[in-house]
Amino acid sequence: MTENLMERANDILERAILAAAEFQEFNQEQTDKVVGAVYKAALNARIKLAKMAVEETGIGIWEDKMWKNVIGTQLVYENIKDERTVGVINDDPITGISEIAQPLGPIFAVTPVTNPTSTAIYKILICMKTRNPIIISSHRNAARSTGEAARICYEAALAAGAPEDCVQMIPAGSRDFTQTVMAHPRVALILATGGTGLVKAAYSSGNPAIGVGPGNVPVFIDESADIPFAISSIIRSKTFDNGTVCASEQSVIVEEKIAKEVREEFERQNCHFMTPEEIQKVEQVAVIKESMSMSPFIVGQSVETIAQKSGISVPIGTKILLAELKGVGRDYPLSVEILAPILAFYTAKDYNSAIKLCIDLNYLGGIGHSAGIYANDDKRIMEFSQLINAGRIVVNTPTSQGAVGGTFNMLPPSLTLGCGTGGKNITTENITVKHLINIQRVCRRKMNDRFFSIDRSKYLDENCNEADLRFEYHKNH
Amino acid sequence: MMDFDFNPEERVLTCIFKGRLDTILSNQLSAELDSKYISLSENEDINGLLDFSLVFDLKDVSFISSSFIRLCLAGKKRVRDGSFCILNSDPFIKKTFKIAGLDEILKVK
Repeated sequence: MTENLMERANDILERAILAAAEFQEFNQEQTDKVVGAVYKAALNARIKLAKMAVEETGIGIWEDKMWKNVIGTQLVYENIKDERTVGVINDDPITGISEIAQPLGPIFAVTPVTNPTSTAIYKILICMKTRNPIIISSHRNAARSTGEAARICYEAALAAGAPEDCVQMIPAGSRDFTQTVMAHPRVALILATGGTGLVKAAYSSGNPAIGVGPGNVPVFIDESADIPFAISSIIRSKTFDNGTVCASEQSVIVEEKIAKEVREEFERQNCHFMTPEEIQKVEQVAVIKESMSMSPFIVGQSVETIAQKSGISVPIGTKILLAELKGVGRDYPLSVEILAPILAFYTAKDYNSAIKLCIDLNYLGGIGHSAGIYANDDKRIMEFSQLINAGRIVVNTPTSQGAVGGTFNMLPPSLTLGCGTGGKNITTENITVKHLINIQRVCRRKMNDRFFSIDRSKYLDENCNEADLRFEYHKNH
Repeated sequence: MMDFDFNPEERVLTCIFKGRLDTILSNQLSAELDSKYISLSENEDINGLLDFSLVFDLKDVSFISSSFIRLCLAGKKRVRDGSFCILNSDPFIKKTFKIAGLDEILKVK
């Protein structure tokens, strides 16, 4: 059994290595031709793939999945197309340092059930741009649509001259096999987008990994905010693909003095504040209490479905279910991350208490991910940002779209959002092509005059202290 | 620096701190706190649990050192479970306790 797994993994990696060997012979022009072809084919398939993903996974809304495909293709492409990723990418005559980009080798990419086709396309694009073959392992419930996205991209890449096996899929459903491939010594890097367990497995594999962490995105609405604008922005983000984006808002925090106005605005814009009884019913179906984690059965479901499953009735056309909570943690199941249109709502007595609540929510399973603030007071925006541990603090912006980048701000568009060491990741950046190249630095001889002009016997003299050596180092400069 | 407010009916000692609680100051406060605890306690065993609740009020505190955090932990150990809490921490101080992983144990409010 184990031998069989290893044999199959060897076969996949042998193919990938041959592709990698051929790929490294490509110049920038040949590479860009492949990237352009993949982009075109994937953008043309945006609707078909979106519909397939929703049909297969039962998660989200096809129109929004289509937009995610647009982000993963067009916006990513426009962001990376002019970047130099082959050969000499930087040459600085002043420092005498030249930078050369080298591909990494086979990249093992894990894609999630919530954003299957868009994540696959985005990863294929950034791998092709960096001349790295990619091996995709999809979530078992999204294998067909992810496979179709990969097939479309692969065929387009081949037609544009890319190496054979530059895109491979491994069969979904076998955890053992996924881990065998992941830990294979010939894998150059793991690009893991998925749940905490998977990311941990990636980091534990012995291969370098770029993972993401879980989120629990707090959004603070300051008294200086434009409230109707803030609420419509939050709704736009939290309802996008039924809340499946991991950067979507999880809780809204306001000061007492604006709480009534915010509440009324949510209601005016067709959101429903649940009664304590309704909260109790919804938390039963939305959260697994033992693990304090969201139930997979409500991920990406509509308000109607969640209401039906919980046995509550809400007005037709309700956009979000809001739960007014008094605390954070185990006693308040709806305070955890829930990728569905359910939003926690907190009222704090003053600004300091509100910010402290945001810190608690941030640390409840979402360290390093994203946070949002609505304010027209830069001092508060900067203070909030320093107190919150998040890779992205998006300002006056829907967090789903804002954190992913490319639309509401100048962050590089990406479907893999680094969460820093708080989320057990190596970076807080949005993952893009620069993370998939080894940069070699050619360092030409440039003498450090200060160091070489010192009478170096002084370093051997015990009577010479730091002040003397500093003086010598800077003398005549 | 430090003021005390003792409520004899409810048996709650509130210690009100002010300013920068750096290492030197925290070490000085340590002895002062200890003698205050002993003077108020009606418990005959001076090393035993104190028979009142302890509240550290950080309303006007701008900085805390790790020594001060140790004082908080020592205070918590001196009282019955659940009888210690920290009030009015500024968000930056709250974050300090959070990063130390002690905000729940020390009931930072």
